[in-house]
Amino acid sequence: MRSLLDIPCKLRGWGWRGIVFLSLLLILPISQVVGSVLVAPTVIFLSDQNRTGRMILQNPTNEPREITVRFSFGLPISDSLGNVQVRLDDSLATDPRSCAEWIRAFPRKMILQPGATQTVRFVARPPKNLADGEYWARVVVRSQESKTDIPVASDAQAITTNLNMIMQTAISLKYRTGDLTSTLQLADAEASLLDSQVVVMLGLSNKGNISYLGVLQCRLLDAENKEVSTYKIDLAVYYDMLRRIELPVPAGEFKPPFRVELSIVNEGRTDVPPEFVVHAEPVESTLAVR
Amino acid sequence: MFSIGIGRRSLWPVALLVIVLFCSVGVNAQDVANGQATATVLAVLTVVSSHDLDFGDVLQGVATVADKTVDAEAGVFEVTGEAGKEVAVHLQLPDYIALADGSDRMVISFSSTDADVDFTAAAAPSAHTGGAVVDQNPHNLGSININNAVAPDNNFKVFLGGTVFPTVDQAAGAYSGDIIMTAAYTGS
Repeated sequence: MRSLLDIPCKLRGWGWRGIVFLSLLLILPISQVVGSVLVAPTVIFLSDQNRTGRMILQNPTNEPREITVRFSFGLPISDSLGNVQVRLDDSLATDPRSCAEWIRAFPRKMILQPGATQTVRFVARPPKNLADGEYWARVVVRSQESKTDIPVASDAQAITTNLNMIMQTAISLKYRTGDLTSTLQLADAEASLLDSQVVVMLGLSNKGNISYLGVLQCRLLDAENKEVSTYKIDLAVYYDMLRRIELPVPAGEFKPPFRVELSIVNEGRTDVPPEFVVHAEPVESTLAVR
Repeated sequence: MFSIGIGRRSLWPVALLVIVLFCSVGVNAQDVANGQATATVLAVLTVVSSHDLDFGDVLQGVATVADKTVDAEAGVFEVTGEAGKEVAVHLQLPDYIALADGSDRMVISFSSTDADVDFTAAAAPSAHTGGAVVDQNPHNLGSININNAVAPDNNFKVFLGGTVFPTVDQAAGAYSGDIIMTAAYTGS
């Protein structure tokens, strides 16, 4: 069976769209997908040197889909318990790092026929004298059935209901200008044993002028240096963040005291092209579990 | 004796053909070069609705429940993406559903335990797998990790229930409303 890397050289003559489409087919089993669109990539980078970008939408279903593309603002934020959410703000975002107002998408509305693929292009028109750094927006792709039948009760006296299920995918868009620095600081860290798990709370602070995109890894070790459990997650820190991590401790096998080895690096991401990685010093720490 | 009149002139096409063949072999050998094929794999994120929330026929004055554990009633959302990645999920739920002409509306409610989350492609409202998390608040689902597995299990599903409250003089007709699920990776 041919692997993805066996694509003949002549495919490069098609442009990269053919390769992208093939990649999407291989990543996701089409037969499992019903009722939405595929959106790729999940992070879009624009810059002073390249103010245009693109996104691929594909309808793998058997029904036409009505698609709208709009911009919003939303960062991963955490609550006091270390739970992370992304809440979209559709009002005129007041964050000085929002670029939602000066990015344009073409087309913004479309009907995507079954099996069809559509490229959406982005153009940035930044204001003058932007400070060096990164500016953010969320591209919200909304998908619903193209044919919306007005529900009709089967009986003239009946009451029936129809809930329209609408899907939205919000991907990150970043515009970069000037000199870029990526720095993450571990402001606070503690680990404690609660029942059958170790709970780690990390206070993270972004000291650079771009969003910190990295990989957070934790290893829980016992008194004999045996690995109890591990945790790995992609991390995005825009300003400050409190992050909660739970590491399970299987009963009976391991001896306390435990310790947590923490590592945060901004390399090894599978969704960020290497040319957009701005090197940052790794963050490493060892925490004693209380 | 039958003879074939092959003179010196007729040999030239043959000779030319032989020369071309040998030269072709030589040219092919010299033209061999190593090239590279590249492919760029792009990450994807997909939200799918595989079943609408369905209350069936509703009676005036009788609150009706769509059970999140009943296949024919539960609303089902499925989020698929990179294995192991964390996704922030937000459900925008209506307070009312209304007739198409807006002449009447009905209260709809979602309790703090009206959502279950499961993590394999085979999971169904009536048949949860071992890792399912039940009785979640659909107004505050927070972030959920995509199952760390290969396709088709690189996903999670949200099973949604709810209740409608028709009044005793609720107008007959078809009531509709929108449920919007938004998904976003937290790591980008």
